[in-house]
Amino acid sequence: MNTFNPSSSPFTHNNQNVRKVMLKVQIAAFPALLMHVYLFGYGIVVQWLLALTTLLVVEYVMLKMRGRPVLPFITDMSGLITITGLVFCIPPLAPWWIIVLGSTFALIFGKHLYGGLGYNPFNPAMLGYVFLLISFPVQMTQWILPLDLAGQTLDFIQSAHYIFIGQIPGFNLDAITGATPLNSLRTGLSQGVSVIQTLQNKDVSMLFGLSGWEWVNVAFVVGGIGLIITRSISWQFPVGFLGALALVSFIFNQINPELYPSVGFTLLNGGTMLAAFFIITDPVTASTTPKGRFIYACGIGILVYVIRNWGAFPDGIAFAILLMNIAVPLIDQYTQPRVFGHKV
Amino acid sequence: MLEALIIFIGLALLFGLFLGYASVRFKVEGNPVAESIDKILPQTQCGQCGYPGCKPYAEALADEEAEVNLCIPGGHEVMIQISEITGLEPKEMEVTEEAEKPKETAYINEDLCIGCVLCIKECPVDAILGATKLMHTVIQQECTGCEKCVPVCPVDCIDMKPIPLSTRNWKWPEPDETLISEAKPGKNH
Amino acid sequence: MSFFAKIIEKISPIYPQAKRWLYSFHGGVFPQYRKELSSRQPIRDTIIPERLIMPLQQQVGQPAELLVKVGEKVKKNQLIARSSKDAKKALVVPIHAPTSGVIQEIASYTLPHPSGLEDIAIIIKPDHQNDCLDNFLKVSGEAPNTPQQLKDVLLNAGIVGMGGAGFPTYAKIPNEQGKIHTLMINGAECEPFITCDDLLMQTEAEAIIQGALITAKALGSTKVLCGIESNKPTAIKAMNKAAKGTIVEIIQVQTVYPMGAQKQLTKELTGIEMPHKAHAVDIGLLMMNVATFASIYKAVTFGEPLTSRLVSVTGLGLAKPFNMRVLIGTPFEELANLAEPKSKLDYPLVMGGPMMGFAVQNNQVPVIKTTNCILANPPEPAEMQMPCIRCGECMDACPVNLLPQQMYWYSHSHEFDKVEKLNIFDCIECGCCSYVCPSHIPLVQYYRHAKSEIKEIHAEEKAVELAKQRHEFRLARIEREKQEREARIKAKKDAVKKQAASASKDTSKNKPKPSAAAAAAAAAAKVAAAKRAAGKNTLMQNTAHTENKQTAMPAARRKAIEAAKQAANQANSGDKPAKSPKEVAKNAAMAAAKKRAQAKKAAAANDTELNKSSTDNTTVKKDPKQAAKAAAMAAAKKHAQAKKAQQANSQTLDLTETTKDSTASKKEDARKAAIQAASVAAKKRRVASENKENEPKTETSTTDKKQKAMQTAKANAMKKAAERGAKKRANHQVSEQAQHNSEERN
Repeated sequence: MNTFNPSSSPFTHNNQNVRKVMLKVQIAAFPALLMHVYLFGYGIVVQWLLALTTLLVVEYVMLKMRGRPVLPFITDMSGLITITGLVFCIPPLAPWWIIVLGSTFALIFGKHLYGGLGYNPFNPAMLGYVFLLISFPVQMTQWILPLDLAGQTLDFIQSAHYIFIGQIPGFNLDAITGATPLNSLRTGLSQGVSVIQTLQNKDVSMLFGLSGWEWVNVAFVVGGIGLIITRSISWQFPVGFLGALALVSFIFNQINPELYPSVGFTLLNGGTMLAAFFIITDPVTASTTPKGRFIYACGIGILVYVIRNWGAFPDGIAFAILLMNIAVPLIDQYTQPRVFGHKV
Repeated sequence: MLEALIIFIGLALLFGLFLGYASVRFKVEGNPVAESIDKILPQTQCGQCGYPGCKPYAEALADEEAEVNLCIPGGHEVMIQISEITGLEPKEMEVTEEAEKPKETAYINEDLCIGCVLCIKECPVDAILGATKLMHTVIQQECTGCEKCVPVCPVDCIDMKPIPLSTRNWKWPEPDETLISEAKPGKNH
Repeated sequence: MSFFAKIIEKISPIYPQAKRWLYSFHGGVFPQYRKELSSRQPIRDTIIPERLIMPLQQQVGQPAELLVKVGEKVKKNQLIARSSKDAKKALVVPIHAPTSGVIQEIASYTLPHPSGLEDIAIIIKPDHQNDCLDNFLKVSGEAPNTPQQLKDVLLNAGIVGMGGAGFPTYAKIPNEQGKIHTLMINGAECEPFITCDDLLMQTEAEAIIQGALITAKALGSTKVLCGIESNKPTAIKAMNKAAKGTIVEIIQVQTVYPMGAQKQLTKELTGIEMPHKAHAVDIGLLMMNVATFASIYKAVTFGEPLTSRLVSVTGLGLAKPFNMRVLIGTPFEELANLAEPKSKLDYPLVMGGPMMGFAVQNNQVPVIKTTNCILANPPEPAEMQMPCIRCGECMDACPVNLLPQQMYWYSHSHEFDKVEKLNIFDCIECGCCSYVCPSHIPLVQYYRHAKSEIKEIHAEEKAVELAKQRHEFRLARIEREKQEREARIKAKKDAVKKQAASASKDTSKNKPKPSAAAAAAAAAAKVAAAKRAAGKNTLMQNTAHTENKQTAMPAARRKAIEAAKQAANQANSGDKPAKSPKEVAKNAAMAAAKKRAQAKKAAAANDTELNKSSTDNTTVKKDPKQAAKAAAMAAAKKHAQAKKAQQANSQTLDLTETTKDSTASKKEDARKAAIQAASVAAKKRRVASENKENEPKTETSTTDKKQKAMQTAKANAMKKAAERGAKKRANHQVSEQAQHNSEERN
């Protein structure tokens, strides 16, 4: 054989790389992070730093164990997206070991055991979240109330104190913790209180009549639109997901508003927008064909609604995503685009 | 109890009848095993397996009369495929080809050839042209590279040569993967 | 510019990919063009280098045939390598000397090819006289009226597609006039850096338009469309000016890579999406590069062969990039050095643009007919290749709407059948996918590798099938030969047996018999020989056939097999006459024997009657013994005579039969006759034996008498009596055998 090893064209590139793509996603998450800090206090920052530390340790160990170069892969930022997604999902004041365990599980079982970046079939963040939700339901449902309900938020030191020790001297934490709207809706329904009543009880004191949780979702939308413009995510994901979710909730809300909340409430509560722009858009685990992406997103939207309203969990996003992850190879197979010059 | 028994006996009968019908209706003619083996054999007709050609070897395999590891040109890969088709235990190749040598074809040194027709008789695919006392030549496109003609030549004028590389048969090499650290995904499974 | 386009223009700074909505095909990328590097410079004067390297193969297809020797002097435009006269050797394009000089060497040189392989090239040492053969192609300057005339000129001028692919232009043109309804001029030049087509359109717009009109006239096309990218306003202006008043329509197309790809530009210009695997010609379209049209014009009008072309010498590593009309064969490095490289040229130059070009192995490689650009971009630190994150950027960028990422997965894991199912052969290797890949995966190389692997797999499959067929054919041939040999041996044996049988008969018999047997044997031998000849014939056909080149192999093979089968059939049908002489001879012999037996029986009956009468006579009259004897003798004589006559008759019959045996009906008749005779004989025998049983006494007495009579007869005609006895026995045997045979045959 010829020893000359030709390098193939093209000899130019648009200077994009994985790190930049991941970084863009991370940056797009900042509006929501800031909003979160403003509304729920610094708990999330502590959690995020904890997760970051875990990430560095786990990645280093795993890459070493797998015999891969550490530096390029630890800096590919993909783990960062995973832990950011996870951090947004857990209660800001959950004990420190929750996030450590969750991130470790997500990174090892969600990514490295499948062969690392690009090879994982399931969304690592959602895998970690589901692991935590099933294993530690109590810790996972103790949410802080947003600023408008609690009247105050915890600063960084207080949050850290609580996360590590479990209490803050001279502070009654019960005053600022409570159920999320989705949770109270579920509890209300089980006690025979109609959706309308539950939502009327809500004290809406914030701007535009939106609750704190809803404002976080709005912040996600802002970051997400930025991602679409910079082509970091495909528009099919949010459009398909939100469209399907809105459609289903509209239909059921029309059928029985007593039982089913309105479209606006559905779209702006729980992790809807986080999922729409940051979680389901993870390209590794999503469908890759344009049509497939849309179908995948629609599937998640419908599943989320089903789990929220008839399932055992208040927010079904993680389960919906994992379920659709399984269906991705099938979707890809049947949604191949028409190649130029070929008949359909 | 009785209903269950009746139902299950009925079901058993039904399925039995259905299977019986299917076995008659969809009966496969011929010996598909031998044919499918013949398809994966390299068809060099070299006879290194001890059978006169690829088909006889395939037939012998289908009748489970031959070992799976006899096809030397096919190598390990074909052996695995054979054992998959026949369900026979895969066996290590006894004679291993030295490191995947590229396909070679026979060349007759036309200055030395004495026109003995021995190689013509030996060639399993009639790829050698010539007549008695006349120089022989190999039709390159038809030579399977079985090397059967090499030992029979009394003047040793047949050489196996790799097919020359030109721009017409040059192949793009696979990209160098030393840079990519996540190598073959298969290894991780 | 439409309102929509204006909106897009406004959006594009925020969302650059919005420009994708402005054209009709999917995907595409917007690389940094850097065309200003070379387009702002005027075209430089041609240089004549120290030596010109002319590879014999410069295009798709086969190398040209060498026409010159080392040391020979050549003039500019002189033919130095010709297209093959062999019509089968398609896609061969002649090569002409670009300037006058001496053939210095004919040797292997590195080709400007991605493989970096070497091939035979002619090295010309220019004498700087530039002695020119004017109108070398001997054209009248008139535009040809038929496609064939145009094709001849193009072939002789050695014109190939100058856009990059290098398909021989004459081979692209259909033979029928009017088949091409729309002719397209490709002035899109979408590759970054390259500006040679832009400059050509600015400076030689007239030639391009004229070339297109000549082609349109010859092909009977009624529509000529010219697509030029919007980033070449000067060229559009020049072309519009040149095209005024003609059927050529200049269309400005969006600036996007790969707008200049044939299928994409066709869709943009005509709205027609070329079907998968179809050629443009099949749907009445033909597209050629501007440079190709310019050289068509020069070849048709001035008889100038293609010996030079406009080349962009550009790149970030050059201080003074330029365009130049470069002689074919000029080494890359010489040109690059003229452009004042910023650093030493220790990196490989690229032939073609950055998207689809290839790095040459050796910077000394020559400019060939398809070289549109010499690119000197200093190597940049390569980004590390990361695993695919399935982001789908490649899919969005693919102008053919393939799934590059899935093709990559399967290519990577060597599942080439799946790659093929993903339509990898529709991939135009434009490089858009690799260009946008955030993981920096060399996708195009994976596809190129997969393509060559798939091609090889298919070739291998074909070879395997061929080997199998040939092997089975050989086995069949050997089997047939064996059968034929056996048949031949059998025939010979039969003939020998017959001969032996007749010989034993002949020992005491008349002569014509052996000659008949010999005739039969000869006939058998002849047929055997014929058969052998037929066998040889098939063999010869085989060998003759194998000489046929592989090009039309399967069809040829089928034909050969059929021919062989026919030959075999002939041999078989030849077998029948081959058997027939034997059989006929046998039959004839048997028939004759039977006849004789019959005659003898009749004679014997006569005899007995006579004997009876004689015994009567003797019993009645003892005296006249002598008379009885005499009578017996007379009777015997009579019989003998009759028999002789009969025998002679049958003999002649035999002979005639053996000689006329060739026709099947005769043979059949003979056989029937033989069978009949045999059955008759058998009946007679039975009757005779019954008679014998019925009259044992008379028998004995008669035999006594007969013997006596015989003895006397012997005394008188000893020879004949003995003969009769012998014959009686022999005939009996033969008739029995005949019967047996006939039974067997039935």
